[in-house]
Amino acid sequence: MSATLNSGKIEVVAVTKTYSPGAPPAVDNLDLVIDHGSYCCLLGPSGCGKTTILRMIAGHETPTQGDILIGGRNVTNLQPVERGTAMMFQSYALFPHRSVLDNVAFALKMRGASVVERNAKARELLEKVHLEAFANRLPAQLSGGQQQRVALARALITNPRVLLLDEPLSALDEYLRLRMRGELRRVQRELGITFIHVTHTQLEAIAVADTVVVMAHGKIEQAASARDIFLVPRNAYVTRFIGGQNVISGTVERTADGSARAVTSTGARIEVPLKGRSASPGERIFASLRRDRVQVRRNTGGKPAQDSINAVAGEVHAIENQGSYVKVTVDLADGEEFVAHVLDEDFFIDPIDIGAPVIASWTVRDVHLLEDRQPQATGRVAAAA
Amino acid sequence: MKISPVFASWLQVGPLALVLTVFFGLPVLVVIAASFFDFDHMAIVPAFIFDNYEELFTSEVTLQLYLSSLKFAVIVWAITLLIGFTVSYYLVFHIDSLLLKIALFLVCSVPFWTSNIIRMISWIPFLGRNGIFNQILADLHISSQPLEFLLFSDFAVVVAYVHLFTLFMVVPIFNSMARIDTRLIEAAKDAGASRWSILREIVLPLSKSGIALGTIFVVTQVMGDFFVVKVMSGGQSASVVSALSNEIQQLQYPPAAASAVILVIVVMLMVAAILRVVDVRKELAS
Repeated sequence: MSATLNSGKIEVVAVTKTYSPGAPPAVDNLDLVIDHGSYCCLLGPSGCGKTTILRMIAGHETPTQGDILIGGRNVTNLQPVERGTAMMFQSYALFPHRSVLDNVAFALKMRGASVVERNAKARELLEKVHLEAFANRLPAQLSGGQQQRVALARALITNPRVLLLDEPLSALDEYLRLRMRGELRRVQRELGITFIHVTHTQLEAIAVADTVVVMAHGKIEQAASARDIFLVPRNAYVTRFIGGQNVISGTVERTADGSARAVTSTGARIEVPLKGRSASPGERIFASLRRDRVQVRRNTGGKPAQDSINAVAGEVHAIENQGSYVKVTVDLADGEEFVAHVLDEDFFIDPIDIGAPVIASWTVRDVHLLEDRQPQATGRVAAAA
Repeated sequence: MKISPVFASWLQVGPLALVLTVFFGLPVLVVIAASFFDFDHMAIVPAFIFDNYEELFTSEVTLQLYLSSLKFAVIVWAITLLIGFTVSYYLVFHIDSLLLKIALFLVCSVPFWTSNIIRMISWIPFLGRNGIFNQILADLHISSQPLEFLLFSDFAVVVAYVHLFTLFMVVPIFNSMARIDTRLIEAAKDAGASRWSILREIVLPLSKSGIALGTIFVVTQVMGDFFVVKVMSGGQSASVVSALSNEIQQLQYPPAAASAVILVIVVMLMVAAILRVVDVRKELAS
């Protein structure tokens, strides 16, 4: 077998999936390339098509149009077993009437391996997930975390080149979820195979993945490294979905020195670096702003001074202590959620109460221009100009 | 007014307990008592003798009757199981729309809208010597002689039993199959299982409780039947209960009672054996 045949590189080429004629497609003309040996997270709200993609790669669903390639080979019409993939199902789908050992050994049994051979391999895998002592139990006699590890062992027994995980952590409690996601990442590194992990939890995706694919309505909104998806989100949807950042917007007054000056709907002035992109006066532009870089101070003198920039006035709407930082939600009276993550040490020197008038400010280097544009209503342009 | 929890639970089990005691418990006790009574041509004489049982156990006819009933039970069980499993499998795994599933399930119950007797008797004009089936064969020149074994034979008895009892197999198997998580089947497919392996490794074991319940329904009904055997065999075959009913017609209540007691014990042992193989309670609880 050549090296490419063993590769777990996935190519999704112009794939569309429609479940019933006339219904909007679950996956809409989607292209995606996932490198061999990378950990990719498909992230999006329920119904965005992420699970459908996973199931099409696994072979449990056939694309209405388009092709799926694994390791350079077109597998669109192959059976799941012929693809070299293995799937870990949501809530694991362990066979309830079979022992843990039989569950893990099942795929080898289906491939005609002898009892001795398959049980030896299954025990080896159970050892890897530290469950050798539970080999003869039934799945129902295990905890959620243990069941998850059995499902992992069961999926890995055929040495797949691609492991497909459908919401693998959603059935676990918070503590186990955090532990198991580290464990998944470790296993992926150790085996060096491709992992595709479907989740609707942003932090989970950012924590484990090399590549995060943010989806909405059957389309990819952005596919980028976990770091980039946080630092340079493409648009307001991705920014809001990933979290940790505010979306600010304003109507462009003028552009100069590679940045745009804009006025928000409440009259505050913001500066947005354009980084080579253009924005024309009168246009409404959107930008992301890291919540942990926002300063919040009491507002003692009404509105911020006219010439102050990158500062907005508002009222504290909610305060949530998160341990190492305090989440301060500021109501700017423009409908967009605006949050500052204030370092706990700084916050508790002089705690602010809910309802207090505050000024939130930031520096221009923490602002990132998004792709979204809105031609502004003419009245507004006139007012801004 | 506050009702104590103990009183409340008595109140809840009370009605059913009363019905069961009066209409089930007492009659069974009466039958057990009568099985030890003596009798002559004129009357039943209260006594405590074992003659009825002795006669039952020493007669060769008893064994033959039980073998005959068991034979019917096994044949009918095998056929209804095959049909019940196939129909359920089709309904559960091949019909996607829930509405159509329910509709087809109801269609299965259509024959039950008429009485058992009518359903059974309607086979007679179909299977008879000059019945519809033989007529068709003759018209198509497939057979010159009418087939004699169709009616008033063991064949006819089995046909009627299968017709009457298949639904009792379909319902519980459908019920347990419908609760199989379809992801289990996908997981098996993902692991490389063929259709046949999925059936053997996943569907069959997970339908076990339904099969056991259906088996209990079908076997106990066949074992307890006399009417179908009598009508459809034309009196040529007998069952345990048909012999028992003859005794009742001759007003020989004590031997009939003894025969009934033994039948109940035998059927209970059969049910116990089925429940030993499949822990229905455990499976129903999960």
